[in-house]
Amino acid sequence: MLKLFKEIRRAGDATVGYPFQPLEMPAGFRGKPEHNEKLCIACGACAIACPANAITMELNADQSLITWDISYGRCIFCGRCQEVCPLFAIKLTGEFELAVKNKGDLRESCSYAVVQCARCGRPYAPAKEVDYARRVLASVGGVAATDIEKLDLCLDCRRADDAEAFQKQARERKGA
Amino acid sequence: MTTKRQTALRVGETHVQAVRDTFPGAVLDATWQAADQVTITVPTDMLPDVVEFLYYGRGGWLPNMVANDERPINGSYALYYLLSMEESDPGFVVVRAEVDPDSMEYPSVTPRVPACVWSEREAFDMFGLRAQGLPDERRLVLPDDWPSNLYPLRKDAMDYRRRPEPACAVENYEFLYEGHAEETTQVPMGPLHITSDEPGHFRLFVEGEDIIDADYRLFYVHRGMEKVAESRLSYDAVTFLADRICGICGNAHSVAYAEAVENAQGIEVPLRAQYIRAILLEVERLHSHLLNLGLVCHYCGFDTGFQHFFRVREKAMDLAVLLTGARKTYGLNLIGGVRRDILDEQKLATIAYVQELRNEVEALVDMLTSTANFESRTAGIGYLDPAVARDFSPVGPCVRGSGIARDVRFDHPFDGYKFLVGLSARSHNGCDVQSRTLVRVEEFMDSLTMIEQLLEGAPAGPVLTEKWQYTPHKFALGYTEAPRGEDMHWAMVGDNQKCYRWRAKAATYSNWPILRYMFRGNTVADAAIIVGSMDPCYSCTDRVTVVDVKKKTETVLTKDQLEGYCRRRTHSPLAGKGW
Repeated sequence: MLKLFKEIRRAGDATVGYPFQPLEMPAGFRGKPEHNEKLCIACGACAIACPANAITMELNADQSLITWDISYGRCIFCGRCQEVCPLFAIKLTGEFELAVKNKGDLRESCSYAVVQCARCGRPYAPAKEVDYARRVLASVGGVAATDIEKLDLCLDCRRADDAEAFQKQARERKGA
Repeated sequence: MTTKRQTALRVGETHVQAVRDTFPGAVLDATWQAADQVTITVPTDMLPDVVEFLYYGRGGWLPNMVANDERPINGSYALYYLLSMEESDPGFVVVRAEVDPDSMEYPSVTPRVPACVWSEREAFDMFGLRAQGLPDERRLVLPDDWPSNLYPLRKDAMDYRRRPEPACAVENYEFLYEGHAEETTQVPMGPLHITSDEPGHFRLFVEGEDIIDADYRLFYVHRGMEKVAESRLSYDAVTFLADRICGICGNAHSVAYAEAVENAQGIEVPLRAQYIRAILLEVERLHSHLLNLGLVCHYCGFDTGFQHFFRVREKAMDLAVLLTGARKTYGLNLIGGVRRDILDEQKLATIAYVQELRNEVEALVDMLTSTANFESRTAGIGYLDPAVARDFSPVGPCVRGSGIARDVRFDHPFDGYKFLVGLSARSHNGCDVQSRTLVRVEEFMDSLTMIEQLLEGAPAGPVLTEKWQYTPHKFALGYTEAPRGEDMHWAMVGDNQKCYRWRAKAATYSNWPILRYMFRGNTVADAAIIVGSMDPCYSCTDRVTVVDVKKKTETVLTKDQLEGYCRRRTHSPLAGKGW
């Protein structure tokens, strides 16, 4: 019995001041994911990786805008989005107080413009993603950048171009 | 025979040969899924003979049986009886038999090997496969109001989002009484659990204060995870779902699932990742065992001890946050390895935590065991006969408290456990609540030693591999020793990047069937501590109905009444109610 009292005395207060004082979480704690909409190029890697489908990407009716959306109600704080993002545009923070009074407040979203194909006029990719690809290719330069103007075309038109070029080449060879 | 002979005998080869010798022509096919796993296909009518032979004749234990709808692959249903061979030639032998999709029947193994009972009941619920001769044909998993001809895991049954209309308005589950006394009273406990505030409905058959028999019904919180994994998730996201099977030992499930797929696909997990997985499994054991030790204090009326165990447990939770970024649902497993490395500073901090936990828990355990109530409340209570244990294949501290040292970490070493030195499975011979508690205490201390050894031994290197090829329809077992016993996962991936079939067996699934035997011969006041000593995990019941077999009366007790009675053992809540 005496041992027990000693132990109680030694242990002292086990409680902390939270919620009246802030609670610091250690580095690496997986809390609320923060999305940096400026860095984001709307490539959709996070939406594909998300096991809980908390992150989704959807086109509007006329396909002029693509909307990135996260539901903190669905999020399981695994951090897969952070791992797969090529631009470090999403990061898990130490924030864990996510309760809201209105369910709708658990969502955050932002929309990105979708560009249209310079030839056929069909929408084909988020403008920021195309722009990012252009900048990457330009900075690499050399052979990689030779077809840089083709970034304005949709996949179908590029395929058609490639097919024509191939056909032309084949005919020339035959002729030669 | 299609298998090629190799010079050295593969694991399990002696068992396959023994089956061939004993039952000529019974082995239609034998294939190895992994170094320690072989699946033999036998004719359906030979099933009971072969399983019984391997179980009792060759030192096998049966974690569970997996049913699978293989009609799209080969035109029939298949049953996989998983056997863990633990005497000679340790490894896993899986007995597979095909079931004709027209008759939907197969001979029940349960009369020969009682451990199959839950699995065979479940195979009927989920697939409509009827075991001929199964002594207990009640529903196990599906609720009473589920339509009788809808079998959710058949491939052509239903979309996972569909909610069928309730087929009936009342509970019609029949509780079975196996005792001999003619007049008993029934004590219903539940549908909410008396120790863990989770749902399960217990029916105690009592004579006065003595429990003659008990029956129970669980699965009130069956979440249909296997169906969700098959239909909605891609196979590599299932580790995160497996993390959520249990709020206590989720990581053990996650690792077991990942390793099932890895074994099937022949993925070699980097060594460092294997060490990290083992470390995290042991971190999980720390907090789980402290929780149970705290509960034991609570049931002995030593609530100060309960508070102190929980105070110390908080350090184990902090350690988990440090290493994984979350208190629970570690979420660190991917197919092919883990997502986070343990950095040097984290290693140092972990060693400091381990030292602190060792000192604190040693002092607390000393206090618990010297409490007067501990001995009298736990010794001789909830006797689990080793013979019953042999028949039902229970796992974890439950079976180890009955003198049988089965522990997957030592019987079938995996991950970092392969490299441990100087440790072995713990066991005690008392067969009672006390023995189970002492096993947990020793295992806790061993876990600390393991974490130290593993941290020291972990080689540098990558923690994740992506160099492998996905092959559909390959299957294998994955297994871990969760704090409550072995978790056994069987997974087969499909041709659509999803699980074709995933069977997750939690430790407690193996332990529930033996509970009625542990109840027998004890008093109503012991019921709570007996259930507590199993450290049960049901996704888990507050009320208890008590039925007096003599007076045919029925009383519903609340959790608080029962717990209070468990501590005081005076002022029976049944007094004055016609008892």
